[in-house]
Amino acid sequence: MTTEEKSSPIKQRDLGKIIRPIFGALVAAFVLWRLYIVFIIEAKYGPQVWVSLLISGLIIGAVYSLIAIGYTLVYGILLMINFAHGELMMVGTFAGYFILEAAQAIKTPTAANPDLVFANAYPVLTIFLAFMVGMVVAAAVGYFLEKIAYRPLRGAPRLIPLISAIGASYVLQNISLLLFSPQLRNYDNPDALSRGDGWKLIINELPVNIPYTGVFTLVLSVVLMLVLLYIVKNTRLGKSMRAVAMDKNTAALMGINVNQTISNTFIISGLLAGAAGVMWGLHNAQVYNTVGFIPGIKAFTAAVFGGIGNIGGAMIGGMVIGMIESIGPTALGISYQLKDVIAFAILISVLIFKPSGILGEVLAEEKV
Amino acid sequence: MKNRQNQNRDMLQKGVVFAIIIIFIMAIGFHEIAASLTSRIFNVDVRRGSIAEVRFMMVFFGLYAFLTGWSNSGEEGSPAKKILHGLIVSVIAGLIVVLFDLILLFLTRNEIDIRAYLTAFSIESMNYFLFNKNQFGLLYHFGFFTVFGFAGCALKVLLNSASAQNIKERISNFFKNTLNKINGAMPPFLPKYGKYILLLLVIAAAIILPRTWGSYINFVVGLVGLYVIAGIGLNIIVGLSGQLVLGYAAFFAMGAYSVALLNAPEPHNIMLGFWPSIIIAIFMAILAGLLLGIPLMGLRGDYLAIVTLGFGEIIRILLKSDLLVDLTGGPRGINDIHGPTLFGRPFSSDIDFVYIIFACIALTIFVYNRLQNSRTGRAWLSIKEDAIAAQATGVNLRRYKLLALCIGAAFAGLVGGISAARNQFTGPNDHSLLVSMNVLSLVIVGGVNSIPGIILGAFALKGLPEILREVQTYRQLAFGILLIVMMIMRPKGLWPASRPEYEQYEDSNASVKNPRREKK
Amino acid sequence: MTDLIIETNEVSKTFGGLTAVNSVDLEIERGAIYAIIGPNGAGKTTLFNCISGFYTPEEGEILFHGNPIQGFTTDFISSQGISRTYQNIRLFHNLTAIENIMVGQHARLETAWWDAVFSTSRFKKENVKSKEDAFYWLDFVGLKGYGDYLASNLPYGMQRRLELARALASNPELILLDEPTAGMNPQETDEMMAFIRSIREKLEKSIILIEHDMRVVMGISDKISVLDYGRKIAEGSPKDIQANERVIEAYLGPGGAALAKKYQDRKRKNINA
Repeated sequence: MTTEEKSSPIKQRDLGKIIRPIFGALVAAFVLWRLYIVFIIEAKYGPQVWVSLLISGLIIGAVYSLIAIGYTLVYGILLMINFAHGELMMVGTFAGYFILEAAQAIKTPTAANPDLVFANAYPVLTIFLAFMVGMVVAAAVGYFLEKIAYRPLRGAPRLIPLISAIGASYVLQNISLLLFSPQLRNYDNPDALSRGDGWKLIINELPVNIPYTGVFTLVLSVVLMLVLLYIVKNTRLGKSMRAVAMDKNTAALMGINVNQTISNTFIISGLLAGAAGVMWGLHNAQVYNTVGFIPGIKAFTAAVFGGIGNIGGAMIGGMVIGMIESIGPTALGISYQLKDVIAFAILISVLIFKPSGILGEVLAEEKV
Repeated sequence: MKNRQNQNRDMLQKGVVFAIIIIFIMAIGFHEIAASLTSRIFNVDVRRGSIAEVRFMMVFFGLYAFLTGWSNSGEEGSPAKKILHGLIVSVIAGLIVVLFDLILLFLTRNEIDIRAYLTAFSIESMNYFLFNKNQFGLLYHFGFFTVFGFAGCALKVLLNSASAQNIKERISNFFKNTLNKINGAMPPFLPKYGKYILLLLVIAAAIILPRTWGSYINFVVGLVGLYVIAGIGLNIIVGLSGQLVLGYAAFFAMGAYSVALLNAPEPHNIMLGFWPSIIIAIFMAILAGLLLGIPLMGLRGDYLAIVTLGFGEIIRILLKSDLLVDLTGGPRGINDIHGPTLFGRPFSSDIDFVYIIFACIALTIFVYNRLQNSRTGRAWLSIKEDAIAAQATGVNLRRYKLLALCIGAAFAGLVGGISAARNQFTGPNDHSLLVSMNVLSLVIVGGVNSIPGIILGAFALKGLPEILREVQTYRQLAFGILLIVMMIMRPKGLWPASRPEYEQYEDSNASVKNPRREKK
Repeated sequence: MTDLIIETNEVSKTFGGLTAVNSVDLEIERGAIYAIIGPNGAGKTTLFNCISGFYTPEEGEILFHGNPIQGFTTDFISSQGISRTYQNIRLFHNLTAIENIMVGQHARLETAWWDAVFSTSRFKKENVKSKEDAFYWLDFVGLKGYGDYLASNLPYGMQRRLELARALASNPELILLDEPTAGMNPQETDEMMAFIRSIREKLEKSIILIEHDMRVVMGISDKISVLDYGRKIAEGSPKDIQANERVIEAYLGPGGAALAKKYQDRKRKNINA
């Protein structure tokens, strides 16, 4: 081997090492330029705008976090992207919708109010039922999804379960379409939790709305996330999930029922996604068969952003993506139409610069 | 020998599953379509738009019950036991369906209309499911399940019994012998020139048929043809080099918009002409491939899938946005794209386009075959099989992955460009995720790395729904189910590929060759 | 002075908190059959992976003919003339045997994709030669007639030989064999030993191998290095290693080493008596 071949090593090294900084510099320059224009040159947004955007960012971020945790749990344990996870959220949204519709249809007249319906007579119970049903139905769908579409493909090369997941996503979307028709529906919130109402904060002499539904969403999300963290850290179920994620075979040898654990993981991710779906419906009103698709992708972005397999990362990632998506278009002076582009752009950027995510991946190592 | 408890639970489970399937079919409104299809099969003239007569619903239901029995005949024990197994499953399914029918009865009796929530549950539809016989419909259902389930199960057991096996073997032997005699009797020169004669016939057909079978079929054939080219292009990326790309439509967009923007009066009125535009279209698609690929070649498979999906969506959103309206025409798309001209004469009738598409298919197949049976093709496959080992064997991963992506993108650009000129229109929705998924589905279902498979897949995806009008609404659902089922049962596709043979054998005994090339 | 084909200087590789390879120095001469042995977890495969480029050592350097190769990609290292086989066979399962060998030739071939598409004369010439060479290697490892078998359809022993053929197809100077006789019965092991010797004799290649089967190690190696807990604890000819007390202790533990010593002494007494 002559020395001239030795001089090619520079080409042999990561071409990415040259491309990446250039790309990064371009992106950074673009962002800074836009920020400069919006903040310094035009400066037409007062602080009340930013606070309002921040609040909606937090709210949507909470929803993304819940969905992202589901993605990260399944990826950590099966090393596959559950493409159909967004559809679990959609299932939750629909289930909650039907409960609310029923609650609004059942009449419970009183002397004072002959037109009273169940939803307004017992709003807490109604909301509780909506969440319960939404979460349970989504969990059930998740359970059967794993059993039918993923379990038979357990050992197969990675591409195959992924395609099955794509098929499952299609199936769920279309079942929903065929069962419920393409009609766009809206959540009929109980009066107590009416959309749009909220506490008013005065900033700069202008009112900023802190919506009740938003606060509710945020609080409930935090509660659910804390419960999940507790389960993962302190219960046997959580321990078996972590064990199976780390090394499936050894976990089986240690007496852990791997199939059961994987099913449980899907159930938990379904519960969270279902809750997210109901929250979405309460806060955003919309119910349609592809409602889970884009939030699903954004939640996956969040999961990767925080480090796939890392639950804390998913939580933080969701919040961050939510806020960037909310504040981004205004801060960068870009049309609101392009806000989805921002999420995708973040995804691509993260995967280029730090594919292991902000807080680092938590995955089983591939052995050579 | 399964113990009694497991067997009982098994039968219960199967009964429940089959009941749920038929209930589900009703819930999505498919029972009406199925009955229409059934009536068409039996060749009864049904005016389009009307629901077929009740008897066809009965036939469909009976067939389903028969299938339930057939699929569930027992596995062990005497024939009587096997039949009993199937019968019990059918009866259980029947009972559950009867319970469901009670609900339907309640709804129809009280005239409760829940169509706002569940579209298929109109009064007519529910009655139709009950054969328009109201409460007697329940008895019919139960009876059908019992009788036809028994029949299906009994028939299967009969066909699998020892005596039946003998008969089956004798029949198949008879056919094999006849086939061999025919083979032997053929004049010896035929096999050698057979290939060329066949090729000539195909070319002749390709030239003559488009002139004879009418505009509509030309349209469908052209559409299927474009999907074949796209499928082969995507196969180079997914099937040969193993990179799952979900945003393939972005490359279509590159090609389509190149041709469109250069050949339409609005927004730019450049009128460059079709042929130069196609070259530019392919080039733009390759450029997009490079831009996408260079930063992302190091990503692992599932990440690449999502990122390419994101990329496809970004392109679509950008094309649709107001931001680039001046450049790209926005959500309304680009209209009135002028077609190709050949030696001054317009070459844009539907027949001409079919010729163009046929020529492109031939080119694509040619290039694909040359590539997959070469050092490049083998390098790609080695990356797909085991990228780490491939790299250690000397394959430069980045270079080859990028190459596959760009060549695949080039084909997509070609398809996009031709499609835009043929439809004389293109818009952001022509290049949605759905299109990407369609191409991916047809490659996977048809058979990865298999040209006949991809052709089959394209026909099944695009051709069949045109013929089977009724099932249009159920097309996507069917494809989703098909993807899952295929992955579980036949991951290599409907028409699997096989690797080329290199060794020369003295004996041309077919049975010796088979074990080598088919995966056990 | 004989030519050193591989030289490692204080190579260390750590994973998180674990030091898998700890400051290992090796000198491997050209044309040698060199064995690396040691109890499980000693760091042998990690060291292998460093030499073949799968890992980059945190410290130290690896020299191939005096030129550093640590930190380069595996395809570059392969193109320099180093091939390897794997402990768990890593063949390309859905390619035929002959195609697997052809992939092995990849680094030595030059035609590009357009050559293939346009079937240039360069392509045709190279194709003919590559096919000939591939069939030669197929025959060399004794798989003649099995060329069109899918790699996954071959029995285990043949798969191992195919992997060897793939490694040979790129005409390397140095071959790394990772447990080449794992899972083989004594007859197959003997055949493999003969193979390895013929690779060195007929083809004049250098070989480094990891092995657990001591019969193989002692039977064909010129020189052996012993690793334990990431450190090199002994180096020498087979005879030296067999008698080395530290090595015995590493494998059998102090109790076992004492026992072994007892039996050795007894045997010596019996022979002298």
